Amino acid sequence: MNWKIWLLIIFISSSLLAIFPMKFYQGLEIVSVDTNSLAYNQGLRQGMRIISIDDKSIINLKDFQLALSKLPSSENQKLTIITDKGSFILFTNKTLEISVKKIEKTRIKTGLDLSGGSRALVKAQDKELTKSELNDLISVTEERLNVYGLNDVQIKTVSDLSGNNFMLIEIAGSTPKELENLISQQGKFEAKIGNDTVFEGGDKDITYVARTGDQAGVYSCQDSGDGSQICQFRFSISLSPEAAKKHADTTCKLGTNSSLPQYLDKPLDLYLDDVLVNSLFIGRDLKCSETTQIQISGSGSGQTREEAFDNALTEMKQLQTVLISGSLPFKLEIVKLDTISPLLGKEFINTILLSALLSFIAVGLVIFIRYRNIKLSLAVLLTSFSEILIILGISALFNRNLDLPAIAAIIAAIGTGVDSQIIILDESRIINTSLKDRIKRALAIIMGIYFTTLFSLLPLMWAGAGLLKGFAIVTIIGVSVGVFITRPAFSEIVKNIVKE
Amino acid sequence: MLESEKAKTSWYNKNYKKLLLIPIILLILSLSQLGYMYFKTGQIIDRDITLTGGTSITIFVEKEVNIEEISDFLNGKIEEFVIRELSDFQSGKQKAIVIETLSSSEETKKILEKFIGYKLTNENSSIESTGSALGESFYKQLIYAVILSFFLMSITIFFIFRSPVPSFAVILSVFADIIMTIAIVNIIGIKISSAGIIAILMLIGYSVDTDIMLTTRLLKRSGDINENLKQAFKTGLTMTLTSIIAVATALIITYSISNVLAQIFSILIIGLIFDIINTWITNVIIMKWYLEAKK
Repeated sequence: MNWKIWLLIIFISSSLLAIFPMKFYQGLEIVSVDTNSLAYNQGLRQGMRIISIDDKSIINLKDFQLALSKLPSSENQKLTIITDKGSFILFTNKTLEISVKKIEKTRIKTGLDLSGGSRALVKAQDKELTKSELNDLISVTEERLNVYGLNDVQIKTVSDLSGNNFMLIEIAGSTPKELENLISQQGKFEAKIGNDTVFEGGDKDITYVARTGDQAGVYSCQDSGDGSQICQFRFSISLSPEAAKKHADTTCKLGTNSSLPQYLDKPLDLYLDDVLVNSLFIGRDLKCSETTQIQISGSGSGQTREEAFDNALTEMKQLQTVLISGSLPFKLEIVKLDTISPLLGKEFINTILLSALLSFIAVGLVIFIRYRNIKLSLAVLLTSFSEILIILGISALFNRNLDLPAIAAIIAAIGTGVDSQIIILDESRIINTSLKDRIKRALAIIMGIYFTTLFSLLPLMWAGAGLLKGFAIVTIIGVSVGVFITRPAFSEIVKNIVKE
Repeated sequence: MLESEKAKTSWYNKNYKKLLLIPIILLILSLSQLGYMYFKTGQIIDRDITLTGGTSITIFVEKEVNIEEISDFLNGKIEEFVIRELSDFQSGKQKAIVIETLSSSEETKKILEKFIGYKLTNENSSIESTGSALGESFYKQLIYAVILSFFLMSITIFFIFRSPVPSFAVILSVFADIIMTIAIVNIIGIKISSAGIIAILMLIGYSVDTDIMLTTRLLKRSGDINENLKQAFKTGLTMTLTSIIAVATALIITYSISNVLAQIFSILIIGLIFDIINTWITNVIIMKWYLEAKK
């Protein structure tokens, strides 16, 4: 057999290996673990594979739900979770704050527009960010999302043809409802007594923020009087010695509250992005004391108690997040925000596969009607099919997401591919010169088409904040695979068929 | 050769230049359509919210929603909106409704929640919003990308053929193809999205294929021009028909479920049909004229 055909075979088999992992794993993969939870503290992490819970093997989501059905309960339950990275024993009475998914059968990752998730394009308000400012922004955002417990996150800088710089955030899976706040909030936190700032958010003033256990949580809920419900949260933080000193100096200047003598006459006001979020009375015994422990509190409201509780918890988590990550030196603006529900995904992929299959059959038929040779039809289909396989293989290898633009790109590449194959077929059937010359001439046309396509795609690498880069890259991969790998092999196959 | 066929060929040889009138008239009509559009709206195309900025909300409905009812309800409450349905390909059952509007996502969401009577979450709906400044800048850049692509394609063509008239013929055919397609898209009333602009870029690639094949055959092959033309026509028509049939099949299936793919496929089909005219009339006649003058 000719080396060109061998080359194709090698590429097809490596692509198959890249797409389908050799090992078949059992169990469910952990997609995320709330960093604020017992499961996290015990060592369960994203990416681990749950094999069994309490000696019952976990194969699908139903097994998982069944195994955890004893939670939440009134008293602590013992859970033995066996993963690929070891076993974990938990005592809890609450629902586990982890989410899992089935282990993918292939390594092809689908993009947000197919599998659900969210995407935000963020820029600074009225300001052009420099590269280093953008990098600072990204590290603060990464920390915030991380503190918040979002793990499957990609953040990168993108710039467009007009020289604008953006931060692009992509989060796979379900979208938290407070995403907008998390990424666009400047997060300037200040604790003031009168006009004096005592401490600010970030690790300069705040050395520790309690997020679990007795020191953090929603502690009471009641009717607010107007029919709605209100819940209070509190959590403690530790101040740095400098901040504690400042607290002492500022409180020394205060007098005693005349109507509530157990407190000082001015409260500690908490501001988030220049808006007063809460005022806390300061106990008289704290006057002039270099205290490092401070209780931060706040509230959330809602129509029902459950909603109020959830909102209070959300508020607390957000406040904790900005206290830990500190503030950004500029105001941000979300210029594009897409949240895609994962609901349509599977059906979508099935529809696309169906349409690919039928298009294939249609192409095969047209080729058959034209050449009256089933072998040639099959050769064309085989070539196009191997092109798709190799494109998918390369995508899997480089962890590229397969999204709608990428699918359009595969269609573009396959379309050009079929066109080139028809050129080879026709050139090889004209009988005035040797077969070799004919194929050579066909390849000259094909190279012409290749370079025109290649150059015409280049502008898309930069236009539109890089959101269409995927289309350009996949098409370029596709047409290159066609020209350098599948088409030489196809010409060989055609030579053999025509010789017969 | 049969007598009748001979007569046909000689008629064609004498009168072929007149055939060029067909694409010329079509091109003038198309350019006037674009001019009219520009005069009326200030843009040569009608853009959807991905290029103007705005909100698109897809609601995965629990029970079927009457499009007219929701349309009446939204009238006057949100700015310039379009409603579409997504349905299951096999059963035709409504799966989701898509509302596109220039209003903000917060506002639109609230009003829609009032109509359907339950809260829109990240599970039961998808929301895409683009700021108007960004939409505007996307649009400008994509137009710029298309022009740049066309320019790069033209340079490559000159480089391949190294001869002004044949290169010009190819470039003119691709140009005519794009202009005629956009005119038809405008007439049908399709609002072009960023995916639509991708489709126009794809079209540059698809339509240049047949033109390069034709020109190479005519320039590099010895023998009778008409015979070479006939051969090239057979090849080229197979190429374009295969593409049209494949894309049409894909359009029928994805039409009900994806606006993005449906728009890409529709624009490609329109463009491929014009490609037949532009390759086999515009490009062929200029080349035949050129080759005969050279003799």
